[in-house]
Amino acid sequence: MKRSKKEVKKSLWSRIKQYRIAYYFIAPTILAMIFLHISPILQGIYMSFLDLNQMTLRNYLLAPFVWFDNYYKVLIDPNSPIRIGLFEAVRNTFIYTVVVTIGTLAVGMVVALMLHRKFFGRSLVRTLFLFPWIVPTYVTGLLWGIMWLKSGGLVNVMLVDWLHILPSKPSWLSGPNTMWAIIIPTIWRYWPLSMLMLLAGLQTIPDELYEAADIDGAGPWTKFWMITWPMLRPVWFILILFGLIYNTYSFNIVIMMFRFGAGFPGEWGDLMMTNIFRNSFQLWNFGTGAAASVLLLIVMVCIVNVWFKYFKQAEEMR
Amino acid sequence: MFNMPYYVRKRIIDIGISIIMLAFLALTLLPVGWMVFSSLKSSTDIAIGRVGLSHNLEGKIEVRWSNYVDMWKNVNFGLYLKNSIVICGSTMIIAMIFSTLAAYSLSRFRFPGSDLFSNGILATQMIPAIMYLIPIYIMFVKITMMTGIPIKGTYWGIVLIYSAFFIPFSIWILRGFFASIPKELEEAARIDGCNALQVFWYVALPLAIPGIIATGIYIFLTAWDELMFAWVLTNADTMTIPVGIRLFVGNYQNRFDLMMAAATVATIPVVVLFFMLQKHIVRGLTAGAVKG
Repeated sequence: MKRSKKEVKKSLWSRIKQYRIAYYFIAPTILAMIFLHISPILQGIYMSFLDLNQMTLRNYLLAPFVWFDNYYKVLIDPNSPIRIGLFEAVRNTFIYTVVVTIGTLAVGMVVALMLHRKFFGRSLVRTLFLFPWIVPTYVTGLLWGIMWLKSGGLVNVMLVDWLHILPSKPSWLSGPNTMWAIIIPTIWRYWPLSMLMLLAGLQTIPDELYEAADIDGAGPWTKFWMITWPMLRPVWFILILFGLIYNTYSFNIVIMMFRFGAGFPGEWGDLMMTNIFRNSFQLWNFGTGAAASVLLLIVMVCIVNVWFKYFKQAEEMR
Repeated sequence: MFNMPYYVRKRIIDIGISIIMLAFLALTLLPVGWMVFSSLKSSTDIAIGRVGLSHNLEGKIEVRWSNYVDMWKNVNFGLYLKNSIVICGSTMIIAMIFSTLAAYSLSRFRFPGSDLFSNGILATQMIPAIMYLIPIYIMFVKITMMTGIPIKGTYWGIVLIYSAFFIPFSIWILRGFFASIPKELEEAARIDGCNALQVFWYVALPLAIPGIIATGIYIFLTAWDELMFAWVLTNADTMTIPVGIRLFVGNYQNRFDLMMAAATVATIPVVVLFFMLQKHIVRGLTAGAVKG
């Protein structure tokens, strides 16, 4: 039965009055978000259209309005410092994000499966496995920055001097190996989180499914693909989403690895965030930095949209 | 091997998996152990990759506990520790208050705009931190210029920013905790004549305390770990540990050993807090994933 417009309007307002305590509760958060989230974002977008650097910073509202000049500098101009490193940063971020997300998921899955059986000391082992996640990210960057050192770092000492896997000590912190130098510590730090969530998910799968599969004569591989993996879908969808967002924005580990924040990660180690940070706060190009972050945000919104569509589709197919 | 009885084969596979798992555990903990071990060596020994303990001047093996003393003097590490504790603690308290109220409201009341609010909260997680940082940095500089109130490089400037930054995620976690409190208890209190505020204060809040504490600890740990905002928004007086720890190795010196000692010291509070509350933190994180 269609309600008249007047009746609908009345019920909205009376609902607002009815729930007014809810609004009181969220008021502080809303205020904080408006001043410290929404306002900076809008300002950031505005700043991306200004020529903002160390000189014009003093009077930023009066800084010259340069339309899309900053975006041109970021994307096209071959001489601007931010453009020069941009292609590498984008490529590195893409490879890094994909490999780290898949890596943490894979390692977490394997260990979760291993921990799923009951055995003596299981809680202790599971807790011990969480150690990498507890170590702060900047400590991870520092630590691995020392471990990857060419002549004295633990990795090279182990690979070359102890185990003789490699004939000579490769350089990990410069050249293409840098990509591995940033990927491995990140996977090391984050796979316990995946493991934890996958383990919790594993524990919700009813045993009867496996028993039925056993009766039908299924081998372990079949059981994994047909039962375990599909039932864990909600977990790994979330892990992939957060992995994508978090790793695209990764900063702490990488920046601390290269001369502990003072160095340049190199053409194979530079990520979007370190690139923009360097351009904004060390080369003082705020305008182009803002433009680059707006572009990064747009890319992320597209990625998340694609993910949501895929997720919805997958859910509807079930 | 496949001719053996089922239970024998299973035993062997079990033992095999356990061995693999323990080996993997050792490999995982190796970097952490190496960090602690290195903090007891001398700086040059770390740099050249000597594996054993260092030798002192007489040529005998020594464990350099002195590193843990020197690190406080070499760089003003005590100040950084104090700053980190003050900043992270204040952030934790403020963010917990704000997010508890908002999370309760979202989980119990279906008010107009609640969907928009909750989606907005989630959307803030998608935005790169640097997109806030540049405007906030400029805003701080501007405010100081225009009004003379110092804000960049003060405690409260960065506590404000951190609180706003960490509130969305804590709302998300706390919502799960509040949702797990049975509604019947609140309804019973309502019948007994409590208004909504009393229901919140006397019924919901006490039951949610474990979740609130776990979320608070999580906020503390996340703030403890934060580097980018602290780098830009603090100065020499208010530097936090992540920013200050870089000073051990730089233009004037190369004290890897002190840096490893400082890294160990910076990790200890995290480990302690985490192990005290790991049950709750784990439950909070996995509740969101499994319930969906």
